[in-house]
Amino acid sequence: MRNNSLLSYNILLAMQSFKRAKSLYFLIILTLSIGVGVLCANLALVNSMASDPIPEKSANLLHVSMNTWPDVQPPDEPMHILRYRDAMKIAESDIPLRTAVFYASGVYARDIESTSMKRFDSRVRATTPGFFGLADAPFAFGTAFDKSRGMEIVIGHELNQKIFAGKNSVGKTLELDGELLTIVGVLKPWIVRPLFYHPTEGRAFDLTDDIFAPLETAIDLGWSIHARSSSSDNYAGVNETRDLNVYYLQAWVELDDIAKKSALQSYLDNYSQQLKDAGGHPLAIKNRLHNVNEWLIEAKVVDQKVLAFTLASILFLSVCIFNASSLLLSRFHAAKFEVGLRRAIGASNKHMMMQGLTESVLLGVFTGVIAVILSWFFLKISVQFLPRLANIAVLEPKLLVLGMFLALITAIASALYPLYRANRYTISAELK
Amino acid sequence: MNIKALLKSLFLRKFTTGLLILQLAITLGLLVNSVILALDTGDKLAQDTGIDAENTLIISLQPTSGDYRDLDYFRSIVSQDLEALAQLPDVESVSLVNQLPITRRGMLGNVYDLDDPDIINRDKYLQDVKIFLTNEELSNTLAFSLLEGRFLTKDDQPEFGTNQNGNVLITESLKKALYGDKSAIGQETNNGRIVGVVKDIMLNPTIPADKQYGVFGNRVMEWIFTGRNYLVKVRPGQVNKVRNQVRDTILSVQAERDIYRVRTMADHLKRFYRHDKGLAQLFLMLCGLMLFVTAISSYAYSQFHISRQKKYIGIRRALGASKKDILLYVLTENWLVYSIGCLLGLAMAISFNILLSQYISLSKPDMMLFSLVSIVLFVAGTVATWIPAQKTSNIPPVIATRTV
Repeated sequence: MRNNSLLSYNILLAMQSFKRAKSLYFLIILTLSIGVGVLCANLALVNSMASDPIPEKSANLLHVSMNTWPDVQPPDEPMHILRYRDAMKIAESDIPLRTAVFYASGVYARDIESTSMKRFDSRVRATTPGFFGLADAPFAFGTAFDKSRGMEIVIGHELNQKIFAGKNSVGKTLELDGELLTIVGVLKPWIVRPLFYHPTEGRAFDLTDDIFAPLETAIDLGWSIHARSSSSDNYAGVNETRDLNVYYLQAWVELDDIAKKSALQSYLDNYSQQLKDAGGHPLAIKNRLHNVNEWLIEAKVVDQKVLAFTLASILFLSVCIFNASSLLLSRFHAAKFEVGLRRAIGASNKHMMMQGLTESVLLGVFTGVIAVILSWFFLKISVQFLPRLANIAVLEPKLLVLGMFLALITAIASALYPLYRANRYTISAELK
Repeated sequence: MNIKALLKSLFLRKFTTGLLILQLAITLGLLVNSVILALDTGDKLAQDTGIDAENTLIISLQPTSGDYRDLDYFRSIVSQDLEALAQLPDVESVSLVNQLPITRRGMLGNVYDLDDPDIINRDKYLQDVKIFLTNEELSNTLAFSLLEGRFLTKDDQPEFGTNQNGNVLITESLKKALYGDKSAIGQETNNGRIVGVVKDIMLNPTIPADKQYGVFGNRVMEWIFTGRNYLVKVRPGQVNKVRNQVRDTILSVQAERDIYRVRTMADHLKRFYRHDKGLAQLFLMLCGLMLFVTAISSYAYSQFHISRQKKYIGIRRALGASKKDILLYVLTENWLVYSIGCLLGLAMAISFNILLSQYISLSKPDMMLFSLVSIVLFVAGTVATWIPAQKTSNIPPVIATRTV
């Protein structure tokens, strides 16, 4: 009970102290919360960029890079894009639990029953059916297609909203570039941040795709490649690429046991060796397997500009702390008569310390609240200046907690030295 | 003025003084590097692109209907588009091209003379040469200046399906890389026979200015589905007028197209550097905040100082120091702190520059810029100290008698 009343007494004293030097405390709270807010906004961006998008199995999902390029001429390094026949070799292996072979494309989509001729620009992932299980795509209606060939598609939540106003559209038919394909599944809202299955070509912060189509069908229909492709042969359309040296497919595998990684590696190396023996693999064999987090690092997903700015905002926060510290010092100095008086009538040094700490914790709480609001504001400003980051500018709850925590730490840190000094004033000198 | 005494007095307040000096140094370091970033971005945007960027419109579009899978239909619509656009008033020239200049990637290929395929191992930029599929109008639209040979003509368009490369135009830097000072006309490359060399335009701003390798062939009609961009050269000053008409003009030829971009080449360049500019702006915003915080600190520092030194200043006044002396004393003290801060700031600016260049590319700080920023900081600091200094000088000598 005594502790309780002491606490409320301390809080009361702190509030009185705040009231006595309003403008000074206002400046302290303002500078500290600006510092914390700016840093917190940056950390929110870094957090979104550096987070693991599929933590439950990121270690068991492997991206395959190979260097089966048919000329001695570069690229010498393993490529993240594969030829059709290389990718199919991976798909037919029974080592992985699931395999996804895909490329990114785009079509214009229209509901054939619609009276409007408006067609919606849709991002397409032309993929083998293993993709859905591998990437944990959440279904709202229907199911995935189960073969790589067939006039069936799965559509994303957003496109379903646009065309069918969010209703169950399984069984409906879409016209895609003049072809009719039936919807067999509709996804729930699906956020993958960063887009681990395709972080290259600056797509790491793109939204998930609108249409998922069977790979072979997309190739047959000649849906164009909307991401990186490399080729040593001339070709007129995607439909001709199966037997040519056109590199555009990406392959991911899911292992049920990461110990199988070496088996997979030797499977790939054996395949490359066979190509080499047949004279079709002039380069040294370099096949690489990266798990999700390794692949995101490889693709340099974390924006270097944001990192640079984070560095600057850490410096800025330290300046804010220095500033708050010298302001507090002058405040405590001005209040030393009161301190002396209270010491003289029996308050212990420890008590004075507790009271000072209570004051700075309270200061930290106020700072935290304002800092969280400011960090939202600074996040908006950052996106204004760096629009590419719009999809990842989210303040997650853990960042709000971090903001509060940072504010508390900074407030206490700035009060430490001033408190130490205040407690060294001798009673007699102050009362003289 | 006794510097030694001043230093001693500063040392008595080593904590606050130290904090202020550190603050000044960090502020200076950040300020210098932010200005460098802003200047760098300004330089990038002011580069000579070799293109009349203000008067060149880019229209990017894509058919939305399946009918366009019939390439002959596709070609006929595009031809009508080009004709309709060319007939708009104030349009000087219209061309069709598979990719835009001032981009990082796009359609790239290796280019070498058939007699020397090995050259691409000696010059790695030859592995990623921009391959433009376009038509004979491009030279007019981009106002190429011819250095030797001739521009592309309608006759340079190879027959469809022959798989021949045909004749090509190349940029000056590519010619220099392949043939040095010799003439390139009539030489056979893996991309076709060279008929002309044009002055460089900026193809990829991220690589050196003398590596702007590009090959232009009259082949876009054959590979019509790659022709996503119409380039329109407009009579000077009429860009907005034309911009408002292009959409309707194209859609009235055939409506099933998605025109996803209509912008000038100047906007295209700005967009290319949008993130560099954004970062510079963020840094400048942070600088503003930092200056604000530092000004508060300077003010608080002097204010605090007065409250503690009232007694001594009173004594000094009593011993005959004039108001002006006291004002000068407080200001000198401040300038001393600022000088130390700036010196430390120099080290901070350099180390921060090194640290930042791990993440982004920026120029090295130079002395001129550093001095300029120091002066700004000095002035800001002096202004912030002026009021407390004034107050200090107003302390009456009589204080001395009261506080002994």
